[in-house]
Amino acid sequence: MKTLKIGQLEAKIPIIQGGMGVGISMANLASSVANEGAIGVISAAGVGMFENERIKDFDYENTVALTKEILKAKENSSGIIGVNIMVAMTNYKELVQSALDANVDIIFSGAGLPLDLPALLKQNTHTKIVPIISSARAAKLITKRWISKYNYVPDAFVIEGPKAGGHLGFKAEDIKQNTFTLETILQETKEILLPFEDTHNQAIPLIVAGGIYTGKDIHKFLSLGADGVQMATRFVTTVECDASDAFKQTYIDAKQEDIRLIKSPVGLPGRAIFNPYLKLVEEGKKHPFSCPYNCIITCKKEEAPYCISLALYNAKIGKLSHGFAFAGTNAYRAEKIISVHNLLDELIEEYNNAL
Amino acid sequence: MFERVKKLIAEELDVNEEEVTLEAKLDDDLGADSLDAVELIMAIEDEFDIEINDEEAQKFKTVKQIVDYIESHQ
Repeated sequence: MKTLKIGQLEAKIPIIQGGMGVGISMANLASSVANEGAIGVISAAGVGMFENERIKDFDYENTVALTKEILKAKENSSGIIGVNIMVAMTNYKELVQSALDANVDIIFSGAGLPLDLPALLKQNTHTKIVPIISSARAAKLITKRWISKYNYVPDAFVIEGPKAGGHLGFKAEDIKQNTFTLETILQETKEILLPFEDTHNQAIPLIVAGGIYTGKDIHKFLSLGADGVQMATRFVTTVECDASDAFKQTYIDAKQEDIRLIKSPVGLPGRAIFNPYLKLVEEGKKHPFSCPYNCIITCKKEEAPYCISLALYNAKIGKLSHGFAFAGTNAYRAEKIISVHNLLDELIEEYNNAL
Repeated sequence: MFERVKKLIAEELDVNEEEVTLEAKLDDDLGADSLDAVELIMAIEDEFDIEINDEEAQKFKTVKQIVDYIESHQ
């Protein structure tokens, strides 16, 4: 495989381990991935929920914990460590600042348009900023804005297609009707960014995500012109993943029909492994809650039948009767838990066989 | 001024100028989605050489609100 260059950073393996919120990708997974020459990513969502039993100040504890978590990952690895911070977080700016305090290598930012992210970098020239988008239009919009307002060319884009796990940037109808495919969004984004790359004499690497599962899939997308891939689902069933064994086991046990689209309280469709908890939600048997965190701007707190942060927290610690696991389209294919090293070996071997 | 805004909105949202009335709602009447709205705000900033912060921008529901904002900030 060719290397992946993002600014001055160069990953030996062009694979980014996608950020997985509320405790699934923390320092342990991210540093293990980075140590193998790929890019490890810590998710900022709910990163501070595991330090103390009682959370007094959710925003504050998350921002403090994020810096600590990044430093921990950097201590355990000299490889590339990124962080995923959702634009929709109510304390977005503070989280970006805590990531910069730890001099993180890359900030990935989606779930909204990170229109003013370059301004938050201030004097930092080390940290690269990479928006996560789901359409060529969004890529163009962000690029235009960053260049005109901040004279900043995006360091790369992650294009997340409709087969990804967790919250998705598409309408549920469009996902069900297969209106969009990752392949076409990649081509459209390449075309739309070309004039900017030419004018500024700077390449904008494109990383594709959503449904990429094998080395053969990686080969396919690199042949279509992607510079790298982002994979998350595969990294859940690794020894080093920060989730509980019970969480990982839901992936192993899942059947294809269990991977379903759900309506998340934050107002987006999400892909998850259907379980009895989600069935109760679907049947309207879950009752309104009082919002403990006020964490996501777009969360419809008044209408939500449950708190997404708490449900994901419960899943992470293994209490799946009170939560559920987000997962990508292919999560049902997981058969056993292996090490990150063996997973990457397997992917490279499959990639080479596809050449 | 309204004429300039009207022309710009028609262009950005790909609608007929006649549809762009002061009362027209950006989403329901003019079919703007969230990306359209951001594009429109950026075009207005360029055209009128003003800055519209995100909080203000999110409050825009009708054409009139945009026109009023530009008038009071020029």
